Amino acid sequence: MSAVYGLYPDGRSAQEAVNGLRAAGIADRDIVVVSSQPMEDYEFGHMDKSTGMWWFACLGGVVGMSAGYGLVTVTEASWPMRVGGLPTVAWWPNLIILFEMTMLGAILATIVTFVVSALLSRGRLYDPAVADGAILVGVENAADDWAAVANLTRALRAPPGARVKAL
Amino acid sequence: MTYPPAPLVDDGLLRPLVRRSSSPSPPVISSRIDSDLLRPLLLTSSRFYVVAAFFGAFVLAGLVAWISQIYFGFGISGIRRPVYWGFYVTNFVFWIGISHAGTLISAILRLVNAGWRRPVTRCAEAITVFALMIGAMFPLIHLGRPWLAFWLFPYPSERLIWPNFRSPLVWDFFAINTYLTGSVLFLVLPMIPDFAVVRDKSTGLRRRIYRALALGWRGTPRQWHRLETAMQIMAIAIIPVAVSVHTIVSFDFSMAPVPMWQTTIFGPYFVAGAIFSGIAALIIAMAVLRRVLHLEAYLHPVHFENLGKLLLVMALLWGYFVFNERLVTYYGNGPAEMTVFFRTQRDSFAPLYWTMVVCNFVVPLVLIGIRRFRTITGCVLASGAVVVGMWLERFLIIVPSLGAKYLPYSFGTYRPQPVEIVITAATFAAMALLYALFTKIVPIISIWELKAGEHPSPALIPPATEEHRLGELHL
Amino acid sequence: MPRWGMAVDLDRCNGCGACVVACHAENNIATVGADEAARGRANHWIRIERYWEGEFPDVRLTFRPVMCQQCGNAPCEIVCPTYASHHTEDGLNAQVYNRCVGTRYCANACPYNARFFNFFNPAWDKPLHLQLNPDVSVREAGVMEKCTFCVQRIRGAQLQARADGGELRDGDIQPACVQSCAVRALVFGDLDDPDSEASRFSRSPRGTRLLEDVGTRPNVTYLARQS
Repeated sequence: MSAVYGLYPDGRSAQEAVNGLRAAGIADRDIVVVSSQPMEDYEFGHMDKSTGMWWFACLGGVVGMSAGYGLVTVTEASWPMRVGGLPTVAWWPNLIILFEMTMLGAILATIVTFVVSALLSRGRLYDPAVADGAILVGVENAADDWAAVANLTRALRAPPGARVKAL
Repeated sequence: MTYPPAPLVDDGLLRPLVRRSSSPSPPVISSRIDSDLLRPLLLTSSRFYVVAAFFGAFVLAGLVAWISQIYFGFGISGIRRPVYWGFYVTNFVFWIGISHAGTLISAILRLVNAGWRRPVTRCAEAITVFALMIGAMFPLIHLGRPWLAFWLFPYPSERLIWPNFRSPLVWDFFAINTYLTGSVLFLVLPMIPDFAVVRDKSTGLRRRIYRALALGWRGTPRQWHRLETAMQIMAIAIIPVAVSVHTIVSFDFSMAPVPMWQTTIFGPYFVAGAIFSGIAALIIAMAVLRRVLHLEAYLHPVHFENLGKLLLVMALLWGYFVFNERLVTYYGNGPAEMTVFFRTQRDSFAPLYWTMVVCNFVVPLVLIGIRRFRTITGCVLASGAVVVGMWLERFLIIVPSLGAKYLPYSFGTYRPQPVEIVITAATFAAMALLYALFTKIVPIISIWELKAGEHPSPALIPPATEEHRLGELHL
Repeated sequence: MPRWGMAVDLDRCNGCGACVVACHAENNIATVGADEAARGRANHWIRIERYWEGEFPDVRLTFRPVMCQQCGNAPCEIVCPTYASHHTEDGLNAQVYNRCVGTRYCANACPYNARFFNFFNPAWDKPLHLQLNPDVSVREAGVMEKCTFCVQRIRGAQLQARADGGELRDGDIQPACVQSCAVRALVFGDLDDPDSEASRFSRSPRGTRLLEDVGTRPNVTYLARQS
């Protein structure tokens, strides 16, 4: 038995299913919810919310700024060229490069964090019915114990409109 | 990278879209959203190929023109001493300006959580990306030796010399690079869940392509949160970048000691003008989409009215900046500046100048300022005028100044040649072509964002906002 | 290290145009033909600007030879993304043709319109093609060019002086325009040498610099009767 899940027509019954799984002793991190839109109106839509993305974005900005700083100072100093009476390392124009590199670093770090933390997840439980508006609530890698699975199925079947599947 | 597996259980839900009827009781509106917005992707009429071929022919002509310019030499263009920048740089500034439609508008509207943005953001972001691609072509097209354009990139080369970081053109490179990267990602990120929808609703090769594009998207709460956080960070990052991009484009002019160029107002003036022309382009694009793709149920008159009001604000701001720039020059009364001033005000460039004022100020004020005219048609007419006016504005910033630079002996003027006109026309065709192709590949209205806007939770949203009012209209 | 500069005595200049011809011959400047010249694409690194003062019949004709002013604070240098335009140690405003990608930004930034663009590959009317100067490279289409103060002559004279073991004296270096000026309206020399002729002229009370208020600090001084 690798997975058991239910499809629910609306957020309310999905919430009930999540609550049922919790009552059956499943930890939040083992509950899989899949929906075709963010379900922020419901409690289960707020699971697993904490993220370090802001910090990674800031870190990326710092890395970008350092790269920009290195780029302008090293290249200007390593081959000093005199132009228009400006100093070799001119700070006013360099600030522009630093700004753009900072922002580029922050943007790229955000994307990398997003890809790593959201797209490279291990879960595979999915049902195309989700695209039609159904909400999937289930447990992946459920215990092999027959009684435990029956218990889960019962919990998933309880909310109105549920269609439970097991594989 | 893990892709979602083939459906674990096929219970017959994967039916062709048109006949889909008894899915597990999805909301009625929701089902209509899917079929309405996926229709352009799944069904293509012969009319589309005609339109694509029409615009494609223009793009091809532009390509031929550019190649012939490289082959025969830059001399076949109308550039001459002392007007060394003409149509190409005008187009560069114009298209970079148009690109400020999307990212800036959609980022700001996202941050203030304006509900009516939902059907608008993707149209706007797509304009940004395509306009930026087109605009970024022009520094290449206008180069004397375009095959050496990579010398502007900062990379360690055998020439042992790096780009001059004190040159505004190198700032341009960095700014456009950051902006293009950010805008593409800003456009692509919220497309991922929609790709997943297309993946689930299609079959065959299309299904395999969209499975790859969906990047393993499932729609867990974790993914939704990460997506929304990422969009928030991107929105915050992209606004200052967008402002910096057009400020730096204005620096291309204000850093050179040329009469009427070297002025501190150019930064904000250019940014305001960019947003101005960007909104106009967005209104036109939305009107075309609404008509061609039958999106009347999604793009309401209220969207045009809201964007029209933004356009009106920008028209006033534009007028304010122009008045400032002109008045300060007039009182400064420098001989070189006054020569350029009167060239545009009452001499050879005066017809173009006053056309610009009418297009950018009078027309929007009348058509959008007066409520009776503030219809979709009125907004589109005003937007058309603004696009023309803003193109003229860029032209009138560049050419009259260069033509009357200090020493009267070397005054000159500029007359565009066929190659420049063809390439300019090709860019507009390229925009239309890219946009048409885009609507065939990506749902032009963000499906998940539209759905997410359907259930405004009264607890989270105060009742008096725009969101609530539009929520009643089932947006 | 010298700082090269020039003094132009406008009261001596009679507008004969010998300097323009000499410059074309010395620096391999292409002839563009009548049509292109009519479109404003003739490249004259030095040009004689002709101005009328007063109203007819009370007219006075004045000439002003204008070449690259070799500015100390050159606007063209700052804006070049590839360092094709940069400053040498001896105060010259150098143009490296091979580095130029042809943005033409330098020409826009130049207040004197002293920079020229090669719209086509260079060509010379016969028999001018037989007198190309081997010391000066020809410039391909898409490249900016301008007056170099005949840098090939400066370097040649410096090398010759070093080979002879002697010092470079004032007047040893003559750019083509200076050499060809029959009325000696043009004087070239080291501005850091207080005794050089160019230096003395540039300190003259008759001296002004072209568009001094733009702040480019040119190294060319124009001498004219102060009215």
